Amino acid sequence: MTDRIHVELHHGAATDVGLVRHANEDAYLAAPPVFVVADGMGGHDRGDVASAIVVEEFAHLDAERYDAEAAAQAVTATLGVIQERILAFGAEQRADGAAAGFSTGTTAVAALLVDGDSGPHWLIANVGDSRAYRFSDGELAQVSVDHSVVQELIDAGTITPAAAQDHPSRNVITRALGGSAMPGGVSGDPDYFLLPLAAAERILLCSDGVSGMVEDAEIGRILARCEDPRDAAEQVIAAAVAAGGHDNATAVVVDVVGLAHTDTYDSAAQRLSLEQKLGALP
Amino acid sequence: MSETTPGPGPSTSGSWSYRTGDWFAVFGSSVTIVLPESQRDQVVALWALVDGGAGFDEVLDGLLSAGLSRVPGFVLASTDGSPTRILLRGAGVQATAVAADGDVVLDGAASHTWVERSLADLTSLQVDLPVAEGAAAGAADLPIVTGLVRVGRINLPPAVAAPLADEPVREPAMDSVMEPVIEPVMTPVSEPVLESSAGGAHLADSPVDAPAAAAESAPLDDEGPATEVMEAISGDPLSDPLSAPLADPPADPLADPRADPLTDSGPDGDPVADLEPVTDAVPAPPGDAPEGWVTPWDTPPAPPIPPIPSTPPGAPMSPSAPSSGPAEDPLAEPDTPAVPSSGLPPMGGETEVVPAGWPPPPPAGGALPDAPPLPIGSWEPIGGGAAPAAPDAGEAAPFGADHDGATAAGALSSPAAEPAVGSGQAVAKLLISDGQTVVVESAVLIGRAPEARRFTSTEQPVLIAVPSRLHEISSTHVEVRPGTGADHGSAVVTDMGSTNGTVLVQPGLGPEDLKPGIAVPLIPGAIINLGDGITIQVTRP
Repeated sequence: MTDRIHVELHHGAATDVGLVRHANEDAYLAAPPVFVVADGMGGHDRGDVASAIVVEEFAHLDAERYDAEAAAQAVTATLGVIQERILAFGAEQRADGAAAGFSTGTTAVAALLVDGDSGPHWLIANVGDSRAYRFSDGELAQVSVDHSVVQELIDAGTITPAAAQDHPSRNVITRALGGSAMPGGVSGDPDYFLLPLAAAERILLCSDGVSGMVEDAEIGRILARCEDPRDAAEQVIAAAVAAGGHDNATAVVVDVVGLAHTDTYDSAAQRLSLEQKLGALP
Repeated sequence: MSETTPGPGPSTSGSWSYRTGDWFAVFGSSVTIVLPESQRDQVVALWALVDGGAGFDEVLDGLLSAGLSRVPGFVLASTDGSPTRILLRGAGVQATAVAADGDVVLDGAASHTWVERSLADLTSLQVDLPVAEGAAAGAADLPIVTGLVRVGRINLPPAVAAPLADEPVREPAMDSVMEPVIEPVMTPVSEPVLESSAGGAHLADSPVDAPAAAAESAPLDDEGPATEVMEAISGDPLSDPLSAPLADPPADPLADPRADPLTDSGPDGDPVADLEPVTDAVPAPPGDAPEGWVTPWDTPPAPPIPPIPSTPPGAPMSPSAPSSGPAEDPLAEPDTPAVPSSGLPPMGGETEVVPAGWPPPPPAGGALPDAPPLPIGSWEPIGGGAAPAAPDAGEAAPFGADHDGATAAGALSSPAAEPAVGSGQAVAKLLISDGQTVVVESAVLIGRAPEARRFTSTEQPVLIAVPSRLHEISSTHVEVRPGTGADHGSAVVTDMGSTNGTVLVQPGLGPEDLKPGIAVPLIPGAIINLGDGITIQVTRP
């Protein structure tokens, strides 16, 4: 681990309750090298508690950098703890007199910087329809695959991705954390994605309040326009609210700033680049 | 359908009869599969699967592992319980069945993919296969329990013309060189046999007459040993007249002293003629069989092989399972926040080939051409339904496992002979020309800057980056992983939709361009060329 490549991450995050909902049940964590967005569900069933549990548990992960395999296992274990806590919370609420149908749940999408065999990678994990995008070479591409009814319809070739935007059940997800009393119970199993850092200079994690309101092309334009990740996150949320703000909207933007071996980084290189910036060199 | 009594009746005890022909048939205890002559190589692999006790879906996976388009025709039938599932494909492939809902005629040419039916309480099934021009189809019905044979027609239960009071002693008079070539065309012999499950006591006369006529008018035609099995077996027709079990050494009814007519046959005796007595012997069964050999003629009163469900009953077999029940309610009320992931929404444009309730098989290796395309790079079945891991792959009976009740139970009851992908068993080693060496134990993704999409924490792929100065190699170029189904034990390579393609050179074969998304099994010694000077040599682990 001595030759670990130093990676500097800059990030920005923003969230908004939107124009329709009364409470913001989204939650996010931006604690390099761990980034998470969770979209709580349930309205009166306290989806905010479920998404807060996600953030709390992922916060325990941020201390160290894992290799890819250990990271996926750690994330799986964390999601297991989250699942148990949410189910316990639901049981507690029902015991305290909440309706028998009380059920809270949440999505989660997480990005962790991990060490792979061939350099640092992004490990992305998702449960539900909160998304991870990557922005590379000026192009936005969705990384995660939603666990939603419309995604399954798209996979099955029944509907086109364009039709999915207006599909009546576009908000029905097929996997979630918690959600004990949902019909049939749902799986909380995550899907994982592993990307080399070079192929993902900028990562966007967002809830469906963003991806459901703003077209991917527009998100791409915003990410291209805003160099600072904090601006980028705020602009993305502003666009989601401007588009109607039907749902809570949350975005976390992470930039990979430095991609260099720590032992090759020296002050000479830094000075050189400064002189270039000042125009001292031709 | 659900009201009818389930459970294997006499018809599902797994005992068949066949007529000789060009096609290959693999008869297993729970699955029977028929393939045309062109699929010779595939038959051998499928035999291993079927004999290992693989279930219907598993055999189907193996059958389609190279892609549906490579298989011009096939018949696949489950025989280990009710309902019986049957799949047909190909021109001239026809099945006639009698089941709870009456007579059913299926034509393999009726669909571009395949025709599938689930038949509850199947009482008889006959599958006719096209005969190549110039070839003479056999006209005698030969009994078989398990094994690999050439067939032109198969019947379940055996289309054995069991003559009773009629003329029980006729057959010793048979000429040893006669070959019943004339087509007796008895209308489904199987039906009478079935309706009297306790033995064909009240058989109509007509089916009995047909073989008799065949015997008496037999032209002297030594050509075309009707029981051409595999080379190894066809060599000595006498030693193995049933020609069935490839790997059952004691399979030699001749050893049974009571099978007198057989020994009377001269050395030139055509196996078909030799077998004729077996059919007639039904009223007086020979009784004890040689050790380890299950006699098909024991069948009607007491099925020789107790039907051992090698596929867990229920789940994928049940046609009554709602295809999309759980998903439909949420569709109606968009406010419902979640539905079970198990409830896949109905596939678009359901056709007759995929009846409701039949979950699509997990894409093995190459995706089914007719299945919705998987996203490139998705090597996990969408929907997360991982193939069930075999409880003990070692239990799966290899060649030579016998079929007597005791050992078969252990072997056949293991539902899947295949460990899941990423089982950790090394199947190959990759020597990459940039100096890297990779052992293939799970999926290995190779490319300029490879990415892994949609995997689970237990099936972590290995990412191998290779240099590509000219950028000829795509970021995720190829995948090499342990094969499943028929490719179990070897590595398979899949081009992940690379920009410039992948060339595969297998030992003894010319260069082959990989088709994106189609898995190709690798032979040790194969060379995979990614371009930009990067080649991958495949060796044994």
